[in-house]
Amino acid sequence: MLRIESVLGSRSDPAMHEAIHHLEHHHAVEFVTVAVGDLDRRRLMARTDKGEEVAITLPRDQKLHDGAVLVLDHHRAVIVRAGEQRWLRFTPRSASDALELGYHAGNLHWRVRFDGEDLLVAQDGQASAYAARIEQLISGGRVEMSEEAE
Amino acid sequence: MDTRTSTHSPSPSRVGAARIGIGGPVGSGKTALIERLIPAFAARGVSLAIVTNDLVTAEDAERIRRSGLIDPARVAAVEAGACPHTVIREDPTLNIAAADDLEALFPDVELILIESGGDNLASTFSLDLVDWWMFVIDVAGGDDIPRKNGPGVLKCDLLVVNKTDLAPYVGVDLAAMAAQAATARAGRPMALTNCRSNEGVDAIADRIVSDVLFR
Repeated sequence: MLRIESVLGSRSDPAMHEAIHHLEHHHAVEFVTVAVGDLDRRRLMARTDKGEEVAITLPRDQKLHDGAVLVLDHHRAVIVRAGEQRWLRFTPRSASDALELGYHAGNLHWRVRFDGEDLLVAQDGQASAYAARIEQLISGGRVEMSEEAE
Repeated sequence: MDTRTSTHSPSPSRVGAARIGIGGPVGSGKTALIERLIPAFAARGVSLAIVTNDLVTAEDAERIRRSGLIDPARVAAVEAGACPHTVIREDPTLNIAAADDLEALFPDVELILIESGGDNLASTFSLDLVDWWMFVIDVAGGDDIPRKNGPGVLKCDLLVVNKTDLAPYVGVDLAAMAAQAATARAGRPMALTNCRSNEGVDAIADRIVSDVLFR
């Protein structure tokens, strides 16, 4: 088991980029995919794409992120890759429906983005669980919901 | 276990104690679970500290301090003053400060339990505050709780269904309740406990030692 106790930097850091690029040519770069919802954790168990178990324990002032470099030496690099974030698209029929949808989204602490007249909600769990929270809006045809990947 | 060094060394900063949250409705048995976990962690050689949250008192902290199970100085109280979920999710500053203080006072501490003040099924923990959290419900609260899809039940790392001994007295089919909880959580971990008789507590302690402390 590989134990990680700090983030060394980001793969985009100029100082690291060159070393990682060199290791890529030798197929010595491994990735640890971490679900978006788990990136805020300071402690988690994960596995590299080559199958090695990784126990991550970070200081409180550090966080994981897409491209976080966990190991970088002359032999290999281990880098975090953020998992796919799925989004739910909510399309309200009218301004008043949008107002009500916005109220519920805030009250439910959903993470949102705006896309024109649509509301995008970061999906963490089954879509049906989100639909159930605003069932009256959806069954009444006031808001349409669809799923999409990032 | 292999701790890798690197040719690229970051500025040194300390990996502190693991912090785990214990949430759940009023009366579900959060404090009782802590009272059982204290000796369980002691038996596993885990140095422990505790933060409790209450609305306007330090009732839970005082109960644990008086228990004789742990050095009272290792128990800190946070008075939420308002909605209990606010201080574990929206603005956990008070709890972070309380945990930081305990770590400063007891540098050997390896694990800090942060018990939320009782709240409804919507309460969840910020991952800025805790590394892992469990949500405690109880059989006597009704076998329909898992079906209500509350965020606390769905999102926690471990769902604890407590007071299993009461099932026959409150008309609950425990097996069916557990099955519904497993379905709602898509198979994520769950534990059945009877804290009064210490049933199921060792399994929780073992899981925390394995999944959070990586021993």
